[in-house]
Amino acid sequence: MDFQVIADNFTYFMIGSWPKGDLGGVALTIYLAVTSCLLSFIFGLLLGLLSVSRHRFISLPTMLVINLVRGVPLLMVIFWMYFLLPAFFGHGFPEIRTVIIALTCFTAAYMSQIVRAGVEGIPRGQLEAGTSTGLKHWQVMLYIVLPQGLRNMIPSFVNQFVSLIKDTSLAFIVGVSELTHVATQVNNRTMAYPTEIFLFIALVYFLLCYSFTSLSRWLEKRLSWRKSV
Amino acid sequence: MIQCKGVHKWFKDLHVLNDINLQVTKGEVLVVCGPSGSGKSTLIRTINKLEPINEGTIIVDGMDLADRKTDINKLRAEVGFVFQQFNLYPHLSVMNNITLAPRKIRKTPRREAEEQAMQLLARVGLAEKHAAYPSQLSGGQQQRVAIARALAMNPRIMLFDEPTSALDPEMIGEVLSVMQDLARSGMTMMVVTHEMGFAREVANRVIFMDAGTILEEAPPAQFFRTPQHDRARQFLNQLLTPMHGASTTAAA
Repeated sequence: MDFQVIADNFTYFMIGSWPKGDLGGVALTIYLAVTSCLLSFIFGLLLGLLSVSRHRFISLPTMLVINLVRGVPLLMVIFWMYFLLPAFFGHGFPEIRTVIIALTCFTAAYMSQIVRAGVEGIPRGQLEAGTSTGLKHWQVMLYIVLPQGLRNMIPSFVNQFVSLIKDTSLAFIVGVSELTHVATQVNNRTMAYPTEIFLFIALVYFLLCYSFTSLSRWLEKRLSWRKSV
Repeated sequence: MIQCKGVHKWFKDLHVLNDINLQVTKGEVLVVCGPSGSGKSTLIRTINKLEPINEGTIIVDGMDLADRKTDINKLRAEVGFVFQQFNLYPHLSVMNNITLAPRKIRKTPRREAEEQAMQLLARVGLAEKHAAYPSQLSGGQQQRVAIARALAMNPRIMLFDEPTSALDPEMIGEVLSVMQDLARSGMTMMVVTHEMGFAREVANRVIFMDAGTILEEAPPAQFFRTPQHDRARQFLNQLLTPMHGASTTAAA
């Protein structure tokens, strides 16, 4: 084992060829994960609420789209976007944005079902209490159901985000120079150190995911409130 | 204030409300009692449309519930509802539990809403608990907060669905006395309860239900002294002398 190859390419692993060239490596992985996470949270929330709509002509089509996306491998979604978006917009589409859109679609579909479970997990009495005071349905959702539901959803959201961090590695397939892509580049260039390189990469992914899980555990404690009996 | 005419409701094959006709006038306190499964809870839940009905008409405060032009949320704001399980919002303080609806529906400014909430809390004897969370309160205290929350919209009618059934015996009194004060202040009330002491002292009229129908309707004195139906007599016997019911079972 010779870990000199890691030391030699450390900055490249971390930030790619930035600032002279494009951002890459760990920095790009984090960028992809955080951006897709924020976007998929927003769309997941939206899709989740639509899927629990009392109107069937809203909930059924929403569920159809969600199940369609969930029934397809992520790699396939990335390919879809990669070939579809340029065709749709009539010009080339930046790979990074393509991957973010694909990750967002995929993760939002899963997030929506977390939201759905969270909303449906709130006791009926809570909805009835809000309704009986004259609040409109959306107000009951906004002020009573979601604030309680979202706190219950935090652990599942964290799981999803950790998956998302790991899923960014699939971006290498369309040539986005995130951590995995950078690793294959270095591996191809140096030829002799695949074990060292990929051990290191695995460790970096682990540290990313683990530190995030720890952070969220702390967040969960801060947001928890004593449940009424 | 409340008028039900020929109300029917089915859950699948079960006929839970069978030709209900009743009337509650302004300032009146109506107690609804009956064995479990008699449809009394379902009945009170139809009054603010928590449960839809299949047939008949319900008119509350001059508004027809079935009429498409009736703004059901506006009507619900005029009708306070107190649940058996309190249903306080666990993520909000007592103060915010009470002020949520006035602030969001009536757009009452926060300070004004909080002043009113403090008055209501004083009225139910819990002024010092305004900053507490529901989980920090006893069942009786939670139910009194729930009553204050229902009163915060200045309702013209109050509905109570077994408000003391989920409470420990020593907490029932505090909730009933709040309800009694409310009745004295002239509030129109419909109360589903097994508390026959409350019915005797506070109610203007008692309704006895069984199997989805109203079997008996009378002033409390008459209802308790000379119940007309066997079913009502049985029910009262079991409720007023629980040991009697137990010993007959043991003998059998």
